[in-house]
Amino acid sequence: MKIFFATDIHGSETCWRKFLNAAAFYKADLVILGGDVTGKVMIPIVANTGYWQTTVRGETIRMETREELAEVERQIRGRGSYPAIVTPDELTVLSETEGEVDRRFSLEMMHSLDRWLDMADGKLRGGEIGCILNGGNDDIFEIDQMIESSPCVTFAEGKLLDLDGFSMISMGWTNPTPWDTFREAPEDELAAKIEAIATQVPDMGRAIFNFHAPPYGTGLDEAPALDASLRPMHGGAVMKPVGSTAVRDSIVAHQPLLSVHGHIHESRGVKRMGRTLAINPGSVYGDGVLQGALIDLDAKKAKVKRYLLVNG
Amino acid sequence: MAAEAVGTQAPTLFLRKATGLVRGWSVRDSMIYACLATNFVTLAIYEFAFAAPAFPKGQILTSVVISGIWVSFLVVAYAGLVVTIPRAGGDYVWQTRILNGGLGFVMAATGWWFILWLWAPIYGNILSVQFFEPIWATLKWTWPGGGAAWFGTHTGIFVVSLITIALAGLLVSIGMGGYARFQKWCFYGGLFGFAVIVVLLLVNSHTAFVNSFNLEAHKLFGINNAYGATNKAASKIAGYAPTKLGFGPLGPTMLLVPVMMFFILWPNWGATLYGEIRGASDFRRVLTGMFGGLWITVALTVVFLLLIDKTMGWAFYQNANQANFNVVSPLPIWPYPVLFAGWLVHNAAFQVILILIMSLWFFGWVGTLFLSSTRVIFAAAFDRVLPDRAAEVSEKRKVPFYSLILMLLPAVALSAVYAYNTTFVKYTYDATLVIAVTFLFSAIAVVLLPFIKKDLWQASPASKIKLLGVPVVPVAGWVTIGLLGFNLYEWLTNNSYYVNLHPSLVFMGCMYALAIIVYVVAFYVRRRQGIDLSLVNKEIPVE
Repeated sequence: MKIFFATDIHGSETCWRKFLNAAAFYKADLVILGGDVTGKVMIPIVANTGYWQTTVRGETIRMETREELAEVERQIRGRGSYPAIVTPDELTVLSETEGEVDRRFSLEMMHSLDRWLDMADGKLRGGEIGCILNGGNDDIFEIDQMIESSPCVTFAEGKLLDLDGFSMISMGWTNPTPWDTFREAPEDELAAKIEAIATQVPDMGRAIFNFHAPPYGTGLDEAPALDASLRPMHGGAVMKPVGSTAVRDSIVAHQPLLSVHGHIHESRGVKRMGRTLAINPGSVYGDGVLQGALIDLDAKKAKVKRYLLVNG
Repeated sequence: MAAEAVGTQAPTLFLRKATGLVRGWSVRDSMIYACLATNFVTLAIYEFAFAAPAFPKGQILTSVVISGIWVSFLVVAYAGLVVTIPRAGGDYVWQTRILNGGLGFVMAATGWWFILWLWAPIYGNILSVQFFEPIWATLKWTWPGGGAAWFGTHTGIFVVSLITIALAGLLVSIGMGGYARFQKWCFYGGLFGFAVIVVLLLVNSHTAFVNSFNLEAHKLFGINNAYGATNKAASKIAGYAPTKLGFGPLGPTMLLVPVMMFFILWPNWGATLYGEIRGASDFRRVLTGMFGGLWITVALTVVFLLLIDKTMGWAFYQNANQANFNVVSPLPIWPYPVLFAGWLVHNAAFQVILILIMSLWFFGWVGTLFLSSTRVIFAAAFDRVLPDRAAEVSEKRKVPFYSLILMLLPAVALSAVYAYNTTFVKYTYDATLVIAVTFLFSAIAVVLLPFIKKDLWQASPASKIKLLGVPVVPVAGWVTIGLLGFNLYEWLTNNSYYVNLHPSLVFMGCMYALAIIVYVVAFYVRRRQGIDLSLVNKEIPVE
């Protein structure tokens, strides 16, 4: 069975479209997105009389036709931001009213995911190509139900899934980060969450762990060391491990066949942990490039036949 | 969600709380690392000892300034790459992504890995002549046999190279955390040492220097009138006459530019960028860090050269280098200006402390020798070009054992050849050239970026930096190609650089051949394993 695994596309519509095309492109049987589906940035496009105006990466853009507006929206979505069309008054309300940005963010995220799932339906031939999604620590909880209800995508969070004789368990939760995101828990709670599903796995020799957090201290979890104000220390030259000890301990203890991770975008890499092959394909969603891992599993011998990290 | 608005008047974007939204790092920090990389002491002063003998009619001062201006364009081009594809892998990532996977591997393997085997004995030699030899001479230590002179023997050179390799390997193993802090202290300490030298050279007259030089040289080496003897020894070298410090003539001065690349070409050495919300300010930040580091080095060099002229005498400095290069110097020691400046104070303890403080320029810099090699080896292993083991890190000690072997063993072997085979020393003149070729392909990548990766370029803050409506970054790429093309042409056609010697070219050719062989073998071995390496950078269609 050939799997394409990608992660952390953070609202990039370019990456989502590539993800949907990945099965055909790489001749994969199954595509998996390992969490952090939603974006972090919202860019207001101000609707004035007769034109729209926005600022993208420091450049002010004026649009006078609907076509120009659509093109700018496409570019904004492509890089993982949400275009939010607002009137000047709405922009004032957004920036001055407590909680208004969060509300609008949620709205844009849900609206965007809804469109993405519609696209998936067509691209995945109504579920003919296997597609698995789960949340990541940056994803709001509201998306779970939405993905769950999609007919062509399987929502994996907290479940044991059977994949042609292999078992996959998934968890989008991570150990605490400096940003206090949605799905974070202390290490002991993470360990308990993992154990709760790991005990259901019938054969660890045929198991796949799909955990958003990478295992601690494995080189798959190296992020720039930050000071108290979240500024990279020493000119960004110093990295430090920030992965989860609970994830690491669970891999060491259970020795699944394969373990796929995300969360730390800079830490693209592969690590052998005893019998387990652990992979973090990393993410450069902002460039519109979909990093991923092509993994070929041998069902007869229950082993990873081959793998390749790609920049699609 | 605790969102945040960004924008000075009306907000131009909103951020929600999410992982990885970091603030820009300190420009001062990146400036310090760029300044250490273009090291004015370990590289510039070391190189001047060869520059004057090779091109005695050229003006070092002018060529430093010209080189600084020209390399500034390289800084702009690299800042453009950094903000467009901000990856720690640097040239490897840019070239594999923009140009071609195989080409990127060959350029990165030769420029950031193989050639650094050759830099190991160069670093070792610098440590010898700027640290061990002057300290041993000042303290008149006679152990090991011959005292300071022992460091110039075959075994001495080899032992110091081994010390350098061990030091650099150790720093790779323990990580950059503590070392980065140490580097900063080294920088500030080194600046303090430089300030002391500036004061010494400023307050003392030329006559005072001549007297001090003669006194200390007599005390340490038993030489009478060492200043005059040095000048006299140089005057006997056929076809050589010292010039005055000035600005022309331009022709021979331009020929010094490829020599200056030995120290001035590296402000981009550690350029990285993290963070996902990038804008024009990031371009400025990256640019300022590298640009600041480069021009601090240029400024320190210019001040130093002017003070040498004022107090030591420019002709004497050139003569000392000429005499040493031609092995006719009455001084049994490398002409280290820091040592000579220290002789203005007739106190051995002060002289040693000054050498120790100035050695911080070396110790703050040596750790970078193999860091880039580790990154390239890891990246190539993750791309399945190298065996998986090359990227393995031991669980217990966190040491990248196999990559260290790939870096250290060849470096040790080449250091031995360097130490015991005097002809091989000349091959080290290739050291700058091979990295320059790698940079050349990154400059080509900058120029082609707007055409090959249109969307990526349009979304990059670098594409918004324009002068008279023309994007600055690709233009800087063209100027960088001009700089590197000029250097490569001179290196390969002018005998004075010692680069175009037949065995030297064969040695370089072997490096490129080795990289090509590694890639081709990997490609076919992986294909037999059912892995198609051509897929690594193939773009998935969007529609």
